[in-house]
Amino acid sequence: MFLKIAVKNILAYKKRSIVTFLLTCFSTGLLVFSTALSDGSHNKMIQNAVEIYHGYLQITQKDFRKTPSYDNLIFDAREIKKKLASIDNIAVFGERFESFVLFSSREKTVGAMFCGIEPDKEKKLSRLEKSLLKGQYLAADDIAQVYMGNELAKRLKVEVGDRLAFVGTGADYSFAADNLTVKGIFKTGLYDFDAGSAFVGKGYFDKIMASENYATHFIVLPTSPGDAKEIAAVIGKEIGSNYESLSWNDTMASLVQAMEVDSIFGYITLGIIFIVIFFVIMIYTWLTVFSRIREIGVLRAVGTTPSQIFYLLILESFLIGLISVVSGGLIGGALSYYFHLHPIVYSGYEEQFRQYGLAASEMPTIFSPLIIARDMTIMFLLAVLSTLYPILKVNRFKPVEAIHHV
Amino acid sequence: MYKLSTRIAWASLKRRKGRSILVVLMITVSLWGLLFMEGIYDGMTEQMIGNAIRSSSGHISLFTKGYRQDPDIKKMIGTPEAINGFLQESRLVKTTVQRILQDGLIATAHYSRGATIFGIDLDQENKHGNIGDYLQEGAFSFGPKKKGVILGAKLAEKLKVKIGKKVILSAQNTENEVASIALKVSGIIKTNNMGLDETAVFIDRKKADDMLLMHGGTTQISIMLHTEKSINQMQTELAQRFPDLEVFRWDQMYPALMQSRVMMKGFNLVTSFLVFCVAGLGIFGVILVSVLERLREFGIMLAIGTKFKQISQIVMIESFFLGFIGFLGGSALGGTTLYYYYRHGLDLTIFSQGLDAFGIDSIIYAIIRPGYFLTALISVTLATLLSVLIPLRILKKSNPIETIHKI
Repeated sequence: MFLKIAVKNILAYKKRSIVTFLLTCFSTGLLVFSTALSDGSHNKMIQNAVEIYHGYLQITQKDFRKTPSYDNLIFDAREIKKKLASIDNIAVFGERFESFVLFSSREKTVGAMFCGIEPDKEKKLSRLEKSLLKGQYLAADDIAQVYMGNELAKRLKVEVGDRLAFVGTGADYSFAADNLTVKGIFKTGLYDFDAGSAFVGKGYFDKIMASENYATHFIVLPTSPGDAKEIAAVIGKEIGSNYESLSWNDTMASLVQAMEVDSIFGYITLGIIFIVIFFVIMIYTWLTVFSRIREIGVLRAVGTTPSQIFYLLILESFLIGLISVVSGGLIGGALSYYFHLHPIVYSGYEEQFRQYGLAASEMPTIFSPLIIARDMTIMFLLAVLSTLYPILKVNRFKPVEAIHHV
Repeated sequence: MYKLSTRIAWASLKRRKGRSILVVLMITVSLWGLLFMEGIYDGMTEQMIGNAIRSSSGHISLFTKGYRQDPDIKKMIGTPEAINGFLQESRLVKTTVQRILQDGLIATAHYSRGATIFGIDLDQENKHGNIGDYLQEGAFSFGPKKKGVILGAKLAEKLKVKIGKKVILSAQNTENEVASIALKVSGIIKTNNMGLDETAVFIDRKKADDMLLMHGGTTQISIMLHTEKSINQMQTELAQRFPDLEVFRWDQMYPALMQSRVMMKGFNLVTSFLVFCVAGLGIFGVILVSVLERLREFGIMLAIGTKFKQISQIVMIESFFLGFIGFLGGSALGGTTLYYYYRHGLDLTIFSQGLDAFGIDSIIYAIIRPGYFLTALISVTLATLLSVLIPLRILKKSNPIETIHKI
């Protein structure tokens, strides 16, 4: 019976119903979509940063993060390899040796990272191979062939096939230098990375830098990257306390936090908009409820209890809230789904992306029914809560007062 | 007549205290939030811009033609004296500094990194951009023998060096030879200008000149003007006078920051627009109901000879009161909040790691612009006046005499 009356009332007081519906629907849609947009772009940025080169899981000697010197290298890479091979849920792993050297071309001298990698494994571990711009990617048995970022090549003024020299310090602190030929040039979109890194095969690197069986770190790709944290813990146990095994959540903490900060700023702005919206909903409920005060007084006079009236009024808010939240959620969800399949391309912001060290690219929204349901619940509660005060207020009148209320 | 209308308007607002308060509260709270948001966000962007101007670009920077496309040390400003003479005489110019820039490699006993060498005069730089304030550790000095080096904070962190540690700096000089010098870390500086913090190695300009064989030449001249307004004038003047040089405004050197400023403005505008539209809807509802429920009252007033103009005046004044009181409340709260954060800063140190990644200071000082309040006043007035229009039309269309006869 209550349901019938509630529906009737909703239809009778159209203005309130429509305004509440539109506003709640709009807020829900806005929240659902902006969450999908910001979470989606944050995930994409982190994913880019992780997958381009950084890796989901890194293994280092235990002091290397604090003091990344040649004294804190992994000095027995074979042992680590043996242990990693025995662990489940690892898709592929590879070793790297990073050092910083001076590169000299005919005209220019530039300091940059010089890194020995396992080319075949690196194909799966990072996007180095996929980022090929000119020339060729490395092969395992290459000798004195280098694969470098396009911005670095620009700075050195070299092209594929050109020769350049490097000067650096070997793993045994000896002087290391050789001539290299540019085999390929890559572009990942991460400006700093493209402007400051060059790669050679680990076999060649070990000979010239005296780093046989040494590595600065290992990169591990778990079968399902979402489980990186758990697998990092498993690996940590297996390889012992002399080493450290960390997932990207820890190794890229500052980027993760940067994304959180960005979300927080977004939510503050949304919060301000929502406060106004729910004030307006409250005002409209107030107006409707008070225009019905005589009706309510009469109902009370004929024996309806306050709790029944409360129940009736709340039921009305409940119904309007439900309909609007569901429609808002559907609209927001549909938009999220559409932009999930057809990512938004940010053109014209390359400069900003470059400054923040992010790879500019298309940003898909996230389509997650669970998050949408969460946002819908929040909005539903807010919509019902904002009608609570007027309802409680009107219920406090005595029947006689209410009937005589002008 | 105004006096009477005002009194009637005030009385009818008082009669419906509950909803009047709700409307005023709505405007107050939304304005408070908006002002806070604008002041803090603007403060954040302006701080980022300020950091870039102070630590690097100045309002205007001079390079030789083509240097920015291809930073080659041989493309130096060979005789900066003539330019400096001109700048010193210009009334628009506050301070200038010369810098020698070159990419190189910095190495500790264990580790090395790519770096950008900045040959600077510390005293002049400090007068120029107050960069001494950015000092994080150690001293703002190269020591008596100028053997010290000041490092960008992120670079120092990557190199794991502390104050007093020795570093070797290598770079190509003007004769294409690699020159190296040994220096001791005397200070660490954090400008939040990300490029600098990650790569900058500041050494004495004379030392850089000797190391790179500059023979008195310089790479960059950074100019600070008395006011930002004269940037364009100065740029044209310099470009005409020194055709061999390229003259960059700060926003040409840091286009991303200008983009942030424009984006922030647009973002604030959209948010404000949205908020005031919704708030207008709230006011509209209240005024509409208050007009409809007083149709009889207005009918009687019209019947005894009150002009419609006066009635619409009453309704206008009512809505104006709602809007204006809300505006006063919101401005007072928002203004006070912003003033507090303008003086003390909003401390976001708990997010410092994340903010660092964007080059945002951990303590944000709010900005208060008269424009915020003016736009708010205009928006509130517009929202209130527009929301009166439809109720008044309804009132005009309804036949007052008939209305009196209704119950």
